[in-house]
Formats: sequence, C-alpha cells, structure tokens
Amino acid sequence: MTAGVVETNQHYDLDPAIFEQFLDPMRKYSSALYRTAADDLATAQRHKLRFVADRMSVADGEAVLDIGCGWGALTLFLAGRYDCTVTGVTPARRQHDHVVGTAATRGLTDRVRVHHGMFEDFDAPRGSFAAAAALGSVVHMPDLPAVFAKVRRLLRRGARFYVSESCFRSAAIQAEFDARPGTDFVRDSIFGNGRLRPLSELVAAAEAAGFAVDAVDDLTDHYRRTIDHWIERVAARAPQLDAIRDGTAADLTRYLEIANAGWGYTTKHYGVTLRNAR
Amino acid sequence: MPAVAEITEVVIGIVAGELGVEPASLAPDSDLRAVEGADSIRVLRIIATIEQRYDIELEDADVFGVSTVDEVVTVVRAALDGAR
Repeated sequence: MTAGVVETNQHYDLDPAIFEQFLDPMRKYSSALYRTAADDLATAQRHKLRFVADRMSVADGEAVLDIGCGWGALTLFLAGRYDCTVTGVTPARRQHDHVVGTAATRGLTDRVRVHHGMFEDFDAPRGSFAAAAALGSVVHMPDLPAVFAKVRRLLRRGARFYVSESCFRSAAIQAEFDARPGTDFVRDSIFGNGRLRPLSELVAAAEAAGFAVDAVDDLTDHYRRTIDHWIERVAARAPQLDAIRDGTAADLTRYLEIANAGWGYTTKHYGVTLRNAR
Repeated sequence: MPAVAEITEVVIGIVAGELGVEPASLAPDSDLRAVEGADSIRVLRIIATIEQRYDIELEDADVFGVSTVDEVVTVVRAALDGAR
C-alpha cells in the first residue's frame, strides 16, 4: 500500500457507519443539485446524478469510467438506470467492498467493476470508455496534467469527461490561504494528499491534455446547501456518531463548517465538462 | 486499413488541390512546406482535410511536426490503427 493510499484512506476509509449516519441513502459524498427551495438532501442528490449523466452525454449500455467512485452513488446509478458497464476506481478498500457488495445485491455484478487502487495505477486500452467522471477526486491527484492526459487516452473520440472540484477562488487566494491553519486542518487531518487549485489550473491542465471545454457550471451554492444538510444530520446523529468513535460529531462539524465558511470567499465549487474533440 | 500507396495517393491529391499544383509534381518525399504557395495556414488546411477524409484526429505533435507526404501517410496510418 502506498503512502498516497494511506493518506487518502484516513478519511474515506473511516468506518462506513459514520458516513451512513449523515449522508443521503445513496451515500453520495459530493455536492447535490437543488432544483427548488423544498428539495431535501436525497432529492437533490438524485437531481445531481441526472445532471452529471446529462453532462456526460451518457447513452444506454455504454462503458463509463468513474474516477474516485466513493461509495458508488454514480457508478450504481449509471449501471442501474442506464444499463452502463461502469468501471469505478477507489483507493479506499471499504468503499471498494461497499460498491461491489451493493452491485451484487442489486443484480448489477456484470455491469460494475471496481478497481481498488490509485487512478494513477489504473490502466485500460486506448478509447475504452464512452464517458468519464471525477466527482471531487482530482483534489487527491498531484499531477493533474498527467491525469487529464491519461483520461483523454482512455476516452473514445467525442466522449465527455465531467470533473467536479472545489477550487480556490483565484490564484491570489491560493497563494494567500494555502498554508493557513484551517486549510492545513482540512488537508492534513481530513483529506490527506489534497490539493485545492484555482479553476484556471484545471482548465490549463485540460487544455494541455488536448480536451475541448464544453461547459463550466458554478455549483458553489449547491455545495453550501449540501453541507448545511450534512451539518444538520451530524447534529441530529451526534450520539450515534460518537458511539462509533468518540469526538466524531465534533470533528465532522468543525470540518464541514470550515468548508462552508469559505464558499465564495476563498473557495468555489465547479463542474467542468470536457470533450475529447477538436 | 487502406494500403500505403492508396493513402499516399489521397494525401498527394489533397495537397495538390490545396496548393494548386499538379499531383504529378509531388512525390512521397516532397516537403509540404517547400511546395510553391505553401504556408502554415495552408498546411493546417491540408491536415484538417485529411482528418475529415479519414475521420481521424492526429496528435498535435504530428499536426505541427510533419514535413513530408510520407510522414503524413505514416501518422494517418497510426491514427487509423489506433481508431480500430
């Protein structure tokens, strides 16, 4: 196991019961998409999956790559709703086992494959996939140009790659805040191996890899609402969370509140849709 | 995969058409940029026409790096091979 896996797994390999307490039933650990003021978390997460599938231009039965598949919300959604053959990638053993187990429960074993390891160590023949997604995953990948170049090689011509990521609001903000205690706390104690970048750095890496930029969606307000919902649920489930590991509720709340305080000031959350085309 | 001779003929036809010269005046070792009337814009148009003709996308290094008809044929074959 590499140091990278150990670092990333600090957070994502926490007891799955912790995430079960405060995430939606699909256990989707990324921004939702709110269509109305009345949307609850589960509804907004379903909206988001449909939005992502739309941005990816997924068609029924295609081969799709889900980089950093987490607990498998998108992987299982695309396999179940679109009959796609989905390859998920996660370095967290517990996430891998959860996705494989859930796929089996739903009769999707033949449509879901999960590579346990870093995306940097994953490979497939050129043009293997008709679409790809990386929801909040590239933050853990230091060499973004190499990652994007690899994704483009794995995609067939015309295929879309949807990348969502939390970003520093600008290069100047990055220079100012990258080494501050709050940033360090989130990076070192929560994520490990995390590297927030400004959107411009994502776009530059996409350009260098030869992608066309199809769309940029600002999802910052949606992520703020998502995290507000998570904070509410952590508070409601504090006894259960602390029973799993003492202090968990307070740790999570601190982390989520730091994340939410920065939206629009130090950080943004963008969805970038890239296309393997001229 | 079309044969080398066939792709060579097509490429020479496209180069000749774009640069307004006779196909007979071009050979496999002809340097595209050295042909009368050639400039970087015309070479790019030649490449674009070839990409459309074969429904391929050449790598940037090839688009901006090829010099001779032969080299174009080689990268076209490589792209056709990768697209299968």
